[in-house]
Amino acid sequence: MILEIDDVRLAFGGVHALDGATFSVGEGQIVGIIGPNGAGKTTLFDCISGFRRPDSGRIVFDERVDLVSRPAHDRVVLGIGRLFQQAKLWPSVSVRDIIRTAQHRSIRAGFFRSVLGFAEASERRASEQADEALELVGLSAHADKPAMELSTGMLRLCEIAAIVSVRPRLLLLDEPSSGIAQKETEALLPLLRRLRDTLDATVLVIEHDMPLVMGLADRIVAMAEGRVIADGTPAQVQVHPEVLQSYLGTRAASA
Amino acid sequence: MTEFLSTLPGGIVTGAVYALLAMGLVFTYKATRVPNFAYGALAALVAFFHYSIVTGRHVGFHINVLFVHLNVGWTLRLPFWGAVFVSLAFAAVAGLVIERFIMRPFARAPMVTHILVTLGLMLLVSALAQQWFGANDLIVPNNQAIFPRTSAFALGSVKVSWEQVGVIGLVLAFGAILYWFFRYTETGLAIRAAATDRDVASLQGVSVRQLSLISWVGGTMTAGLAGIMLASLVVSSNPGTLVLLSIKGFAAAIVGGMVSFPIAVVAGFAIGIVGEIVRHYSAHANSTIFVGADEIVTLGAVVVVLALRPRWIFKGIREDEDAGVLARSAGVDLAIGRWIDPVEAYRLWRASTGGLVSPAVWAWIKRVFPFVLGALALVFPFLPLPAFWTFPLNLSFIYLLVVLSYVVLVGWLGQISLALGAFLAVGGAGAAIGANTLHLPFPLPIVTGVLLSIPVSILVGLPALRLRGLHFAVVTLAFALVAERAIVPHFAGTANLLVKPSYLSSDRPLYYVFLALTVITFAFAARISRTKTGRAFRAVRDSETVASAYGIQPTRTKLTGFVVSGAIAALAGTMVAYELGSVQTGYASVLFSITWLAYAVVAGITSLAGPLIAAAIFGLLPALSQGEVHAAKISHWPEVTAAALLITIMAFNPQGLASMARFLRTRVSAHEEEPDEDLRAIEAAASVERPKVGAPA
Repeated sequence: MILEIDDVRLAFGGVHALDGATFSVGEGQIVGIIGPNGAGKTTLFDCISGFRRPDSGRIVFDERVDLVSRPAHDRVVLGIGRLFQQAKLWPSVSVRDIIRTAQHRSIRAGFFRSVLGFAEASERRASEQADEALELVGLSAHADKPAMELSTGMLRLCEIAAIVSVRPRLLLLDEPSSGIAQKETEALLPLLRRLRDTLDATVLVIEHDMPLVMGLADRIVAMAEGRVIADGTPAQVQVHPEVLQSYLGTRAASA
Repeated sequence: MTEFLSTLPGGIVTGAVYALLAMGLVFTYKATRVPNFAYGALAALVAFFHYSIVTGRHVGFHINVLFVHLNVGWTLRLPFWGAVFVSLAFAAVAGLVIERFIMRPFARAPMVTHILVTLGLMLLVSALAQQWFGANDLIVPNNQAIFPRTSAFALGSVKVSWEQVGVIGLVLAFGAILYWFFRYTETGLAIRAAATDRDVASLQGVSVRQLSLISWVGGTMTAGLAGIMLASLVVSSNPGTLVLLSIKGFAAAIVGGMVSFPIAVVAGFAIGIVGEIVRHYSAHANSTIFVGADEIVTLGAVVVVLALRPRWIFKGIREDEDAGVLARSAGVDLAIGRWIDPVEAYRLWRASTGGLVSPAVWAWIKRVFPFVLGALALVFPFLPLPAFWTFPLNLSFIYLLVVLSYVVLVGWLGQISLALGAFLAVGGAGAAIGANTLHLPFPLPIVTGVLLSIPVSILVGLPALRLRGLHFAVVTLAFALVAERAIVPHFAGTANLLVKPSYLSSDRPLYYVFLALTVITFAFAARISRTKTGRAFRAVRDSETVASAYGIQPTRTKLTGFVVSGAIAALAGTMVAYELGSVQTGYASVLFSITWLAYAVVAGITSLAGPLIAAAIFGLLPALSQGEVHAAKISHWPEVTAAALLITIMAFNPQGLASMARFLRTRVSAHEEEPDEDLRAIEAAASVERPKVGAPA
């Protein structure tokens, strides 16, 4: 098990965003997380990536690392990468520099060593990785543009390139299709598959686009009101009565 | 006990004025969500206006822009309370003008923009006040005091004057009116509603724009009243001291979370009373060690309260997530955007039009320019120039480093600190300790100055950097005030002249020392910008959340930037000490910090060329153009111009510093989104087969 989520609870005031969420993810799986708005999907991602601290419960990475007690910035060193919902990056930073910045922790030199030029080798390696990753997603031509000049789709690609360059073992994708037109979503499916194959990573993906998530995931976890209500293959979850009731409704029949 | 009691009337009465200032700030914040840093300056402006009418002083107006000199003046005289009436009317008009012509474009701007704009306004107002009313201290004689200074009554041996009774009474009356206003009037209720949720309030038919107008007029009148009382109470003041005193009002307001009247009032009284007690006993101890002890205690307490993060403070204040840029929404598209960062602007203009010269020539110019500039700098002192040039030239190295310090902290890291002057003071003090106390040989005092700044940066930065935006600005402001009152007096003045080797007694050798230090520092900064530290700075500026997702520690990164920027400012401080003999109040002041922040933003806050432009235009040019009489009459027009430019620049970039470049770019490229571009890119990325990236490290 690369990730175990055990009875995680988190309340904001009186609202229970996570109410005992429990499931685990095996190495190499692609797990889709679905659920209506307010089901606690993004809150769960925030707990895994360390931006929120659960009130109770355990999140264990790689069978030994207790993620709850670790700060957010440790995640990338452990091998956990995240794609944000709104393709959030650093708007005024150029595409190439974004990828170089993403490799912050791979340049193992302190302030003075790097400023005085004792870390030139790893700086150069970071630049090479950046060019390699940009090549991979086909953004080389836009390397000098700042992120804010990219369209949403390209921003996604840039983010994917950044994630590829840090080579995570567990990848959290928060709605990769959000903000992208339908046609492009279809093109996203082979890209995400290839991303998994390239990285050899385990993928956890939150997605509202049913054809995309059903086509991509080996396994689906359905959430509602902060709890896991169904867990199984896409085919099983699609016909699960509780899922139909809380989320898919009549759309399941047509999908 | 009697001695202790005797401090109370003075403490309560200054506390009352702080409480009044705090109430005005809360008033404005509640209705508009703008932390008004110009508040103290407005108080000073109205106070000076008022006493100039009471005295019937000839009000002079000097225009002294570069080479143009002009004098206008008139005389006006009114009895005290008549003058109060006129002054408050003046305050109301000032508030109206500010709201209508300055603040309105910023109604929905992020906190960083509000801070910068009201700082610009503070600079504008206080520079205008000094331009109009002169740099002389305002002395309020007994016959012009707000209430007679004669003894009203005595409690035991503790004498209480009519002035004290009257001021406390006025503040209480004002508080009662405010209470009534918010409790029972429709407008008051509307402001309370808007404070809770602006959008809901405006859906309910509350005109947010009208509230903003009312609060600016009301807030400015409160500031004016407080200023008039404060000037009378402290007897002798100048715009600078009134602005500084009103920082205490700001401290009280922020302890109340900027929205709570009762907590702000209690905090105001507490700051006044505790400050007075500490001042009394530290003066009684009859030792210079205790100079400024009251500032350290009161403002230290405010910082501690903030660092404890009680819920009531953070409930009221909006936390603009990731400080700088948030909204990707379209902004105002105007040509003035090109002036934001001249270097960046030229680069973009060149990218879109091809520029004046071909890229190859441009690359060559860029390579050669530093050498030309360097060669010029090397021979400069030997050129046949007027003798008075040497002094301003040496000062301009100090300005270069001052602006560089802001480029690192504000431009790259996105944090607004007002403690720059304080770090100049620390640097100067460190140099004085090194040279005078430890008797170190020449270059070492510079090292001690810079080294001293590091623990100070960490001490101030650790609590401050846990806070963001407004709180960070206020904590650094508190530190700046402490430095101005508690550090500088020990090291400034003729009694504390820096011991320096005889070969450094003239300007020319110092010029070369400063040149070398400046070149080294700029090279260092350029390296930071190009390596992982600089990239981490910009990542934290643009989004702390994303930065930490990629393993960058925001607090540590901000602390690094704070220490680097503090060390650069401290180096400038040691240069001040070597050039002028000791740390000068003018360089260590809050006003100096804010003035140069405005210059830095106007000249270009994100590039290394910004300091060159700022030092040339705002440091060297005014000094040279005013010629040898430069010291005799200080012109405030550079500040006024820069402050006006700062506000204008922000008006066209309401989303804050980091988005400036975007406005330029959209302006230049008029980027039209092609619908199929995305699709093609994603398809291309998905279909191309490429070898696997290596195994996880």
